[in-house]
Amino acid sequence: MRSWLLCPATAQVLLGLALLTWLITPPIRHLLEAGMGRHMLLQFPLGMLAGALLAASISQGARAGIARWNAHGISGLVLVAVALSLLMLPRLLDLAVRDATIEAGKFVGLLMAGAALRLSWHSAGLVVQGFFLGNVLPMMAVVGQLYIDSPLRLCNAYLLDDQVRLGQWLVVCAALLALIWLGHTTWRLVWRESAL
Amino acid sequence: MWRTVLCSVLLLVWGYVMAVWLTHDFQVWTDEGARRLEVALRPVQVPSVRVQGPTVEDIGLDELLSRDGGATIVDFFYTHCRSVCLSVGGGFRQLQTALRADHQPDPGQRVRLLSISFDGARDDPAVLRAYAHGLGADPALWRFVRVRDAAQQELLLHRLGVVVIADGLGDYEHNASLLVFDQRGRMRRIFDPGALQTALDYARHLARAGR
Repeated sequence: MRSWLLCPATAQVLLGLALLTWLITPPIRHLLEAGMGRHMLLQFPLGMLAGALLAASISQGARAGIARWNAHGISGLVLVAVALSLLMLPRLLDLAVRDATIEAGKFVGLLMAGAALRLSWHSAGLVVQGFFLGNVLPMMAVVGQLYIDSPLRLCNAYLLDDQVRLGQWLVVCAALLALIWLGHTTWRLVWRESAL
Repeated sequence: MWRTVLCSVLLLVWGYVMAVWLTHDFQVWTDEGARRLEVALRPVQVPSVRVQGPTVEDIGLDELLSRDGGATIVDFFYTHCRSVCLSVGGGFRQLQTALRADHQPDPGQRVRLLSISFDGARDDPAVLRAYAHGLGADPALWRFVRVRDAAQQELLLHRLGVVVIADGLGDYEHNASLLVFDQRGRMRRIFDPGALQTALDYARHLARAGR
């Protein structure tokens, strides 16, 4: 179990609720959506974090039920990958800013992706995790490169230099996440071998 | 395991359906692309907002667009702009030259140009007159207006899908484009600022077809 999962379930749920409430408060929401980078690289991960925290409210019995539909965490990671691909479409960013229904759907998607990631990550094992990251991270880097290269503004709601910055950050984040996972995996494998 | 496979397949199908809807069957990736496609499929009626300009008395925009028949190519701009509006202004000057050479005898089949300011607070008729003069605009072909009322201006921009964002330095970034209206005041097609000839050909076609 990772350390942030150690605090009691009720505390996590309350924290998740507080984070979600904070995120959807209009002034905060507008602040986080005022820039393309903030929108995708701050609001998205925070929304997923809120979902992951709220997932603490799911009882052991319900978890066992979910696990039967989520062998090796595959369904959950498919959900995360699908949600992230949709959320990275430039049109979705624009629509979320000007359409309340899409905005609500975006938040539901983020919460579900966060919860699914938490419920699936450990049961996934290294192979499924590697396959998942091997798909999602290159997609992130490619989207980032497209944002950097596009001479046109892809989102009407955002400035062009904001778009270039977001692209650079997406590439950096994809590389960092890959490095962290590789480092963590190597460390675990080495540790397991030395324990034998 | 079959449950997981079923669940994953359903999620993928759902994602595919959502993607088809978001991208209009993978034709567009941006909101601007979607806006252009939607306008081409379903013309947008211009709202009846009051506009005024140096050669235009206080009049509803729908009436201004339909009064003389023909077709109108519209752009949105603001006079303090130092970047993209200037190049669109230059483009409109080329269009004006081309339209003068048309010698269309029937005024109901003429193509006209209209520049609408989205900086109504600063661009009053006197400012617009000076700006039009600087560009060498011929009032018979190329008119300049502003929307007097801020709320009505907001409505117009929203209806036509023009997104204007302030960059915090007194300037604006906006999705500059050429909007082609028919004689019933309906926006029929949106073109890139660089696609002058295509926009002109389309407007001429609309004006001749008279519908």
